[in-house]
Amino acid sequence: MDFDTRVRRTIYEHFATTGRRPELATMAERVEATTDEVIASYRRLSDRRVLVLDDDGISIAMALPFSGVPTQHTVESDGVVYTANCAWDALGVPAALQRPATVHSRCEQSREPFRLDIGVDGPESSEWLFHSLVPASKWWADIVFT
Amino acid sequence: MTIDQLWRISTVWYGTRLQASPRRPTPAEMVELFASVGLDEPFWDPTSDHVD
Repeated sequence: MDFDTRVRRTIYEHFATTGRRPELATMAERVEATTDEVIASYRRLSDRRVLVLDDDGISIAMALPFSGVPTQHTVESDGVVYTANCAWDALGVPAALQRPATVHSRCEQSREPFRLDIGVDGPESSEWLFHSLVPASKWWADIVFT
Repeated sequence: MTIDQLWRISTVWYGTRLQASPRRPTPAEMVELFASVGLDEPFWDPTSDHVD
């Protein structure tokens, strides 16, 4: 397994287990490398759109569908609270975990809270709609805005 | 899109993300995936230059 693959797997394992992004020092310890080597790997993974980094260039803002920073989209599953990047990713978290979950979000227009239970066979019936402001061809022009 | 459409897309998009060899859809597969749930407008085409 190459180094970047090991870093990616370790990041995702950390998110899946804790719901939070790993700290740089934790990553270095887990992959048995220096922090500079981990940062270099983060940048390569960012170039491949596996990660989105914070402005500091060393903190993980996104490992889609997981968010490393607080958002209004949270997912609770098996006692762990996850943060998602957007309403889509809020469904992406249980899809990735492949286990039941409860999604909490809100309508950005009315601010009405949204709750959705997702079972092993998928989500309960819901009248809510997902709306994307940005066309697919522009998503990565500014993925944080998207 | 409806929650059902979003869920069907999410299971393909993110279903392997925590596996040893995750696979993200290619642009062509994205087009197919969106079309499979009835979303076949250029808006959902990552290669389209016909949307602003």
